[in-house]
Amino acid sequence: MSGRRLSCKAGFGSAFAGVFLVLVAITPASALAELERLAESEMSEIDGAGIGLVFDNFTFSHGTDRPDAEGNQARIFRISGIKSTDGREVDITVNHLYIAGANSNYGENLTPVNLGRLVNPWRIDIVDGNGIGVPDKAVLELAAPSKIPGAEGFDCMGASAAAGSGQCSSRPATADWIGERADIGMQMNVAVGDDRSANLNIHARSAVIDGSYLRLWGDDQRSQMAGQFKLNFYSPEVSINACTQDGTACGSRITMSDFALELAIGNSLQPVFFDVDGGGNFILEVETIRSPGAGQIAANGLRAGSNAQTWDFYQDYYSNPEYRSNLQIGNFSVGDRDFGAARVEGMLIQHLQIQTKDLAP
Amino acid sequence: MIFPYAVPVLSLSLMAVLTLPARAEMAPLEDEALSKVAGQGGIYLSGDISINEMGGPVENAYFGRCDETDKKCGARFAYRLKEDGGWMVLDEIRGLFAFEGLTLRVRKIDSGFGGDGELFDRDVIELGLPDTVRFTDVHFKVAASSTARPTDPGFIQTDIFAVQMQGDVIMQGNLLVFPDGNP
Repeated sequence: MSGRRLSCKAGFGSAFAGVFLVLVAITPASALAELERLAESEMSEIDGAGIGLVFDNFTFSHGTDRPDAEGNQARIFRISGIKSTDGREVDITVNHLYIAGANSNYGENLTPVNLGRLVNPWRIDIVDGNGIGVPDKAVLELAAPSKIPGAEGFDCMGASAAAGSGQCSSRPATADWIGERADIGMQMNVAVGDDRSANLNIHARSAVIDGSYLRLWGDDQRSQMAGQFKLNFYSPEVSINACTQDGTACGSRITMSDFALELAIGNSLQPVFFDVDGGGNFILEVETIRSPGAGQIAANGLRAGSNAQTWDFYQDYYSNPEYRSNLQIGNFSVGDRDFGAARVEGMLIQHLQIQTKDLAP
Repeated sequence: MIFPYAVPVLSLSLMAVLTLPARAEMAPLEDEALSKVAGQGGIYLSGDISINEMGGPVENAYFGRCDETDKKCGARFAYRLKEDGGWMVLDEIRGLFAFEGLTLRVRKIDSGFGGDGELFDRDVIELGLPDTVRFTDVHFKVAASSTARPTDPGFIQTDIFAVQMQGDVIMQGNLLVFPDGNP
């Protein structure tokens, strides 16, 4: 095919004709052998795909605000620009931020980890909104590995879970495989003016965020960007403690074992909207649910006697677990004291508006 | 064949030179042999990127050189989330990034990955992350603004927070990129 096209060009007699002829002489044998026509039916089967991403043997580590042992320059990641009520500068300095393999001993021993599986990677994709409750829209989706059926999945908490024990696709580390669950942690401190707090350490062991996603699309009625955010975060142990600036003394460790957060901000009926108002303030809004149209609910609340479509609409809205946020902590302990389990389940955001306000005089 | 332009002598002589050795060396490859040919090699990149180290190209009442204390010298990136709404802004973007040893190649995966490699059995683009990325005085601000440009009438801006990064970030491993997902 390409061979034939090239010989046509040679016929135009440009200065490069000779070079083309040489190419023609060399290529046809191999090129013609490889290329074949596709039938219409075959063409229709071809479609674009999203992008899959896998981090292979990955380690990330950022910073300490002290020069290292060899006297290299201090490493800083600092968030500033916030003022206290009495006008002093507030800065949040992150001394250390890491993503590494399991058993890192609270970030002391950083080893590589994989993030995402080849058979279930991180994805950047344009998905058909009809399949996810956003009718007739193309939706941009950034997604972590999806959850999979319990028959093949791994328990999201268990640091030694076996196949068939849960719904997470990412596997815990074993003797033969580094796994897809990362130890994540950070050390930070806050300074108000010259008063700097102790270092606060936050660590999560063998963390999984399978089933999390961010979906973005445009809302026609409001001519605005709309979104849907789901964060699943599972870890067998999340801990927080505070240490002095030089790290010599630490307070008791607050440990939350079997920590599971399933946070849903925005859903297909109530997307989350982002905006900036005329005064330069950022606004995040989850709209109240739109009315499903005319249709009464009977006084006794039963489906019989109500408009069936309306009743089903509200039934789905109030019973769909996808729209709700959950937080479960297996055991909460401070030092050697156990406080037992804590659960906050089935939170539904019916309306939310967050607006920044500039307090500067 | 007739060449109507003045240059053909050159191209003809090129042809003569090129064809002799080429003909002698090259032979058609059978399909089977061709199917075993795979691309080799890749790209190795080192970079040193500086953004507005001394100041940007725009100089007016608001933007200027970094040594002018009353002017802003960082880059500004504004985007709007609603028709006729305000603007989200990344403001005063400045700094230096340096990295060495970013690699790019195509890799065939048919083993490893805790058993996934065998199931996968495809080519991926492998981006080898540089071991360290050096940040020198990297700054940016997240802000919300009433107009896209600070020189537009009615400009009001609220700075939400500022980020400053300095030092070496350890970033090891490979990023594998491949087609996946829904059509």
